[in-house]
Amino acid sequence: MLEIRDLHASVTEDGREILKGLNLRAQAGEVHAIMGPNGSGKSTLANVIAGRETYEVTQGDVLLDGESLVELDPEERAHKGVFLAFQYPVEIPGVSNTYFLRASVNALREARGEPEMGSAEFLKMMREKVKLLGLSDDMLQRSVNEGFSGGEKKRNEIFQMAVLEPRLCVLDETDSGLDIDALQVVANGVNALRTPDRAFVIVTHYQRLLNFIVPDFVHVLMNGRIVRSGGRELALELENQGYGWLEAEVAAGSQA
Amino acid sequence: MSHDRKRYGDTTLGNQEPSANEPAWLNELRASGREVHGRLGIPTPRHEDWKYTPLREVAETDWSPAEPGPALFEEPLPEFDSGAVRIVMVNGRLDRNLSNPGPLPGGLRIASIRDEIHSGNDAVLRSTLGRTGPKPTQTFDRQIVPDEHTFAALNDTLFEDGLVVYVAEGAKVDPLIEIVHVSHGGPEPSLVVPRILIVAEAGSRCKLVETYVTRGNGPSLTVPVTEVVVRTGADVEHVRLQDEDAGALHIANWQTAQESGSTYTSFNVCFGGRLARVDQGIWIGGAGTRTRLDGVVVANGDQHMDNHTRLDHAFPSGESFEIYKQIADDRAHVVFNGKIFVHQDAQKTDAKQTNQALLLAPGAVVDSKPQLEIFADDVKCTHGATVGQLEDLPLFYLRSRGMPRNRAEAVLVYAFAADVLEEITIEPVRKALEARLFEKLAVASR
Ligand SMILES: Nc1ncnc2c1ncn2[C@@H]1O[C@H](COP(=O)(O)OP(=O)(O)OP(=O)(O)O)[C@@H](O)[C@H]1O
Ligand SMILES: [Mg+2]
Repeated sequence: MLEIRDLHASVTEDGREILKGLNLRAQAGEVHAIMGPNGSGKSTLANVIAGRETYEVTQGDVLLDGESLVELDPEERAHKGVFLAFQYPVEIPGVSNTYFLRASVNALREARGEPEMGSAEFLKMMREKVKLLGLSDDMLQRSVNEGFSGGEKKRNEIFQMAVLEPRLCVLDETDSGLDIDALQVVANGVNALRTPDRAFVIVTHYQRLLNFIVPDFVHVLMNGRIVRSGGRELALELENQGYGWLEAEVAAGSQA
Repeated sequence: MSHDRKRYGDTTLGNQEPSANEPAWLNELRASGREVHGRLGIPTPRHEDWKYTPLREVAETDWSPAEPGPALFEEPLPEFDSGAVRIVMVNGRLDRNLSNPGPLPGGLRIASIRDEIHSGNDAVLRSTLGRTGPKPTQTFDRQIVPDEHTFAALNDTLFEDGLVVYVAEGAKVDPLIEIVHVSHGGPEPSLVVPRILIVAEAGSRCKLVETYVTRGNGPSLTVPVTEVVVRTGADVEHVRLQDEDAGALHIANWQTAQESGSTYTSFNVCFGGRLARVDQGIWIGGAGTRTRLDGVVVANGDQHMDNHTRLDHAFPSGESFEIYKQIADDRAHVVFNGKIFVHQDAQKTDAKQTNQALLLAPGAVVDSKPQLEIFADDVKCTHGATVGQLEDLPLFYLRSRGMPRNRAEAVLVYAFAADVLEEITIEPVRKALEARLFEKLAVASR
């Protein structure tokens, strides 16, 4: 489903390169976890997949079902089924969560040539998904993420994902700042969406999340590249030993 | 009115002679108006307060006082709330046929200024009209003095009718008071001088909306003066919407005097007109007041919108909050000038002013100038002004959920301004203004 080939990306403003030849393949039905030290480029990767104009792809490609995403606007990527759960969800005062979701649902439908969803149908769907994520009615009426706690913002991201039903779900540190109950809720939300036609790329610092959402693959991103890939045992190894040993190995490897 | 060729810089509009039929207090008001307007005339950009306001057309046009308008209008007039006490004024005159006050709630009196004067029932008018402005006070080394308003002075000399809204002591008026003002331009350039006086007596409460629209296709210049007196412990919420046609000229004065313990919540919403200027003044004339003066300004095309506010905290422990949100698209020019005077006796004043402007096109211009002058030492006063474009991150957030760029922009621009409208507690007014904002922005964002 997702294929990233030799991806180089830099900050548009100053040309500083952050992703330096990154390769990754994810098939439908798979969950890929991405781990890596602070500043290694995980959020940049997530944002580049979603089409943030702050970053410029200078080399390589990002393909969804064989089709390049690089030239597409963020909304066009969303129409094709790409979704990013933000590391820092954005507050939008003056726009209610409900309005935002309904406008998003209908924008996707419009782009796909489907009829607009009526308000009764929309409310019914919202009610089902709300239960899944344990959001309060009050949160739906409030402005998007405004005054939400850190955990509420993260739950709201997964709620949006549940409502929009994307095919490629990129989660950027959705588990950071969650208490154990909220983590369980978020994991349940993700697991409910795990289907054979959907792929997940989950950025996390903690092995803990991977107990709830069991990944098929774990990748380590360092200095703009995937330096190691493995099964879920790789996450445990990192948890126990940190990144130092890998850094040393990578350094040795590049000298050899 | 003179028919000599008018020249910008030495022009006045109107020069009504004293009338023997009018009471002495009105003769006095007119005489002082004549003096002030005669002296100041139509200000040029050399005048600091009028630096950005293009008045050439106002000065060079031969304006005639507007005739009474037609009995009916083809295009319906705005109506926010069918349960409201509805008053329609046409070219400054109370229109009894178009008005629909219904049975007035207890404690509320509504009358035409002309009727009050002719029937000699003019005690309230005599004691308040033209007297709601700031009073001079002395600080250590200088006097803080009221501004002279040449267009308010012009209104003083020319108004023929107008509206008095009187809320008796302790009366709680529940229904909305909805005042619709129509300027109907005839074939000749028409000068319209609406006059409104609102007096909320001690401990009373009311909610009002004042709407200005134009009908007809002749050029019009509307020069309204609205005066509001909020007596001890009274509570008034006041929304003003200026939604005139794109060719209209509008220069307004809006002056409120608050007594101790009173609450005044005001919203200045500017959508219409080619040139629209509002000078809003609030005189805090008693201790322990609460004041809100918010503005939502949306200008596109060649609109020029100019809002000047002046807040005089002259007594202690007043709390005031002011936020202006302005949007300028195309070649529009928006100006905000916010003065706050904290007089020497106004200890424990808590005043906050914020001014945010959004520029949507390279040709749009914003000028904003906060001006805080503080003569008391134990006060909290803050102000902040920002001018900018839409932020990149919220835009990306909306687009990443599938919203096309232009819609995401429209939503964010809408949200920027709706944030202020949300504070209006009169629900039908808030909803109607939100809908109108949406409509206006759909035009603005093409
Ligand atoms: N817009 C930008 N402008 C300048 N530098 C940037 C920008 N975005 C990212 N960077 C830099 O690129 C590097 C990678 O940042 P990124 O946010 O992708 O890291 P991360 O792996 O997500 O880190 P964390 O684990 O702390 O979230 C950092 O050094 C960061 O400072
Ligand atoms: Mg990150």
